[in-house]
Amino acid sequence: MTTPESGIIVPVKRSATLRQTVGYVIGDALDRAADGDVAVVHFVSVASWRAEDPGSDRERQRAVDLLEQVETWAGFELDEADTDSDTVTIETAVIGDTDYLFSPEDYADLLTEYAEQHGLGRVVVDPEYSLVGHTTLVEPLEFELAQRDLAIEEAPVDRPTRRGRLVSRTTPARFLTLFGTSMLFYQVLGGFSGLFDLVTGVATALIVATTLSSVSFYRDPTLRESPKRVLRGVIYVPYLLYEIVVSNLVVARVILDPRLDIDPRLTKVRVFVGSGFPLTTLANSITLTPGTLTVKADDQELYVHSLVPFAREGLFDGALERWVRFVFYGREAARFPSPRDRGDTEVLQDPGVDEPANGEPEAVADGGVDCSGDDTQEGDQ
Amino acid sequence: MITTVRIGLIAVFVALGLFFTFVSATGVIRLPDVFSRAHTASQADTLGAGFALAAVALTIGWGPTAVKTVLLLFFIFVTNPTAAHAIARAAYEEGVEPWTKGDERR
Repeated sequence: MTTPESGIIVPVKRSATLRQTVGYVIGDALDRAADGDVAVVHFVSVASWRAEDPGSDRERQRAVDLLEQVETWAGFELDEADTDSDTVTIETAVIGDTDYLFSPEDYADLLTEYAEQHGLGRVVVDPEYSLVGHTTLVEPLEFELAQRDLAIEEAPVDRPTRRGRLVSRTTPARFLTLFGTSMLFYQVLGGFSGLFDLVTGVATALIVATTLSSVSFYRDPTLRESPKRVLRGVIYVPYLLYEIVVSNLVVARVILDPRLDIDPRLTKVRVFVGSGFPLTTLANSITLTPGTLTVKADDQELYVHSLVPFAREGLFDGALERWVRFVFYGREAARFPSPRDRGDTEVLQDPGVDEPANGEPEAVADGGVDCSGDDTQEGDQ
Repeated sequence: MITTVRIGLIAVFVALGLFFTFVSATGVIRLPDVFSRAHTASQADTLGAGFALAAVALTIGWGPTAVKTVLLLFFIFVTNPTAAHAIARAAYEEGVEPWTKGDERR
């Protein structure tokens, strides 16, 4: 007979570790089946929309597609295990499309209710599971679930390196660097005006360093590298300003032109800078330069909306990318082919017939293929 | 003599600041969709605010307050693209199709 313990509920959402989570869950269910239980696994997609909302059909379709994908994966796993396929029962469902869900509490209530209805006693959570959008909110969800009668477990998966935990442990180097920076900032604001400011500054900097040093750094600042980076960053600023002014003039001309001669396109560029701070710097620099706007950063792939061809060309020439590489990795790293030469550019919305296509289609044709070998070369910096 | 140059420079900076802010406002009105508006709303504004702050710094003269205006500028440079990105990404994730040449104006 089915004991409640043997039923597993798995909330799914598209994530980098979902595949591994499915693998783990099925493996676990098979183990239980081998012990004589009939194992049941329910994969549920919690709706972030309401069925009455306009446009919800597409959302639902997406959820259903994902569940189908999960079922296929689960099927692979079962085939691989080479056991009777009926020892493990797989179900999928879309739930929660009648209410708006706001908090982790709502999600937990819904999952618990579903689990009770189907006699499931255990939740396995994908560590990269996100409730809304792309914010990882697994901890609060797990906390809420733990308040209820469900056994909870986080699937042991290899996290992709691109996104570590936001909070890491603090180290003396991080603490001191943050302390020094906040102290300096405080003194600048106060105009270096004597003992009182010094004492309050130390107090403030201590608070800042204690509370924030575990979230402010990806890795330890070092005496050898960090000052150089700051210095190169200072060199970068005038160049960035120059770029901003030039493209601003171009964009201003276009906007003030009565014909409003714009040609917006969404483009995708694969960039080679380390994830985390370097990527943020690059994405923000691109956004800061008029005419290009980073819409989405998907690992190393930047979705950039460009307003005019001039800005698009500039983006594909990759000057900003080279500068960011220079700032973070030094002069050697700045000698790097442009995204156009690498074939890492793609115009997502095809140029219309009325416009000659600036040689971009060729870039599209071999885009992303010939460079797959370079993927590992840069790695995570 | 120095003061004249300085006042002149201040006037030029204020005028440039006004110009770019004006361009930004015009862009928000004229451009067709949320993505292209996000361009101009944040970016032209960055330069507008930048020149205005430069004028402020010049008016005040060298001192702690001028340093603070530079810091202000720095924070604008960090926050502005972040906000623009947030808006654009929100639109993208909602499934808003970017406007292309030949589409109807929305």
